[in-house]
Amino acid sequence: MTSRRAPNPIARTVAHAAAYGVALTMLLPFLWMVVTSLKTDQETVGASLALLPRGAPWEWRWQNYIAAVKEVSLGEFYLNSVIAAGVTTLLAGAHNALAGFAFAKLRFAGKRSLFAGVLATMMLPVQVSFIFAYIIAGRLGFVDNMQALVVPFLASGFGIYYMRQAISSVPDSLLEAGRLDGMTDFELFWTIVRPTVWPAIAALSIFTFVASWNAFFWPLIVIDSRQMKTMPLAVAELASGLLVQSWPVRMAAATILTLPLVVVFVLFQRAFVRGVALTGIKE
Amino acid sequence: MTRRSVSAYSFLAFPLTILLVFTLAPTVLGLGLSLFNWSGSGTPRFVGLENFRGLASDPRFGPALRNTLIFVVGTVPLTVATGFLLAVAVHARWFVGKTVVRTALFLPTVVSIIAIGFVWRWMLDSQGGLVPELLKAMHVAHPPDFLQGGPVLAFGEGESRRVFLAWLEWPMVSIIVVQVWRGVGFAMVLYLAALSGVNESLYEAAEVDGASRARVLRHITWPSVAPMTAFLLVTGVIGALQVFDIVWAMTSGTETRATNVLNMYVYREFQQSRLGYAAALGVVIFALTVVATAVQFAVMRRRAA
Repeated sequence: MTSRRAPNPIARTVAHAAAYGVALTMLLPFLWMVVTSLKTDQETVGASLALLPRGAPWEWRWQNYIAAVKEVSLGEFYLNSVIAAGVTTLLAGAHNALAGFAFAKLRFAGKRSLFAGVLATMMLPVQVSFIFAYIIAGRLGFVDNMQALVVPFLASGFGIYYMRQAISSVPDSLLEAGRLDGMTDFELFWTIVRPTVWPAIAALSIFTFVASWNAFFWPLIVIDSRQMKTMPLAVAELASGLLVQSWPVRMAAATILTLPLVVVFVLFQRAFVRGVALTGIKE
Repeated sequence: MTRRSVSAYSFLAFPLTILLVFTLAPTVLGLGLSLFNWSGSGTPRFVGLENFRGLASDPRFGPALRNTLIFVVGTVPLTVATGFLLAVAVHARWFVGKTVVRTALFLPTVVSIIAIGFVWRWMLDSQGGLVPELLKAMHVAHPPDFLQGGPVLAFGEGESRRVFLAWLEWPMVSIIVVQVWRGVGFAMVLYLAALSGVNESLYEAAEVDGASRARVLRHITWPSVAPMTAFLLVTGVIGALQVFDIVWAMTSGTETRATNVLNMYVYREFQQSRLGYAAALGVVIFALTVVATAVQFAVMRRRAA
């Protein structure tokens, strides 16, 4: 506890007011986005301080959402993002966990130097690496397709490091017992390690999903054709105003983009926050 | 941990190949590329340090470097300090609604920066945006143009117009505010984790000594979370030096003198197939990162000693 004595009521009120005030500013842009998405174009011209769209809820401009999906063909981009983020999360989770297991609990020649290499990749700036990453991806045929969005992220230095830290805390005695039963290394991982470090796997999966869903720089580089765009690329295009000028329709599109992550976050809020807290402490 | 494991290699083969092919090798090649001229096809031509000399005389480099440094100085300390104070308030036993505040503050961290930047641009838009309209409602006759405006510290009109810190323009200030707004929740959550690890007996001892609240905060709480502060500062500065997404989101990717940062500049050069030049810029960002990190570690070590 920061202090065991409660401060005087005025100080307490000020602290609450400040924290809630900041919290409110966090929600305001999201609320304003949704409110705008349900207005008519006319309502957004000039003084648009009305906190709710005009009329009763059933009179609001729900058709903005249909327009966003149709005119901007958001459906396609949505599918791209869902597949890219979903596949990346699943496969990267497995690979990072297995590699983390190897570094935490297995003995093999070259372990130290390989792990040092993994740590090094966490510090290398993408500004230097992206040029040849793009050229190599091109040689392998991973440009402007789903592989381009997935393959480079099937393992990450951070993910391996994170899983290694988590798996290090699994007692060796558990693994020894399994070995005496004649389990292979993979069976040890699957039947003992995986269930034990499940919270860490869940946290890392959420990070991976969020990072993949929100990725911008790399998709901007490797994706050219319209039908391969992910949601952030689509929203960036939308934001430029070349496609649609209507603010309400554009805000409807932004709402559709952000909604899944807001839902994921609110549902997994505790796992999320705990996972983030762990990264800082272990560093 | 008795036997040597062969299966370890089978677990590592694929992940390490990915890291090698898409991170390690491209970095090494990219560092080398900064000494060449190359458009992506044909044979690269070795030019030594010419790309770096080109940067030194490039009129766009100076502003991009300056804008990047403004962004670093404007965002990192403010984010860390605000995150700390909020964490202290929310962590207190008497604070009501900890989860609500934590959830709200962390929300922007998970949402796409592109979408966030887009929404903020709508809120700051001089044509019907929420913030300028609110200011007008509060009788501010001419709210500044937050997205395209000029110097922040400009006073008076015509002959008597005086400008201070001319390099500080509204678009960059808006970007900084949005970045701090976005980053505070992350800093707060990490500080909350650090605060829950602080030894209770320290506070008890301070209480027995009758130390004031401010002194406890200054001499017990703040030093106790120093490792977390170090982590946030170092990773914050690295991230800020490499800033790209938020600037793109707030400017729609258009290049202006007031908002062009180094990484946007790298992207432009890459787009124009000036790969060696782009790599040289990347090396500059890398070098800045290394120097900034080394300086911070040196300062912390001296503080600790």
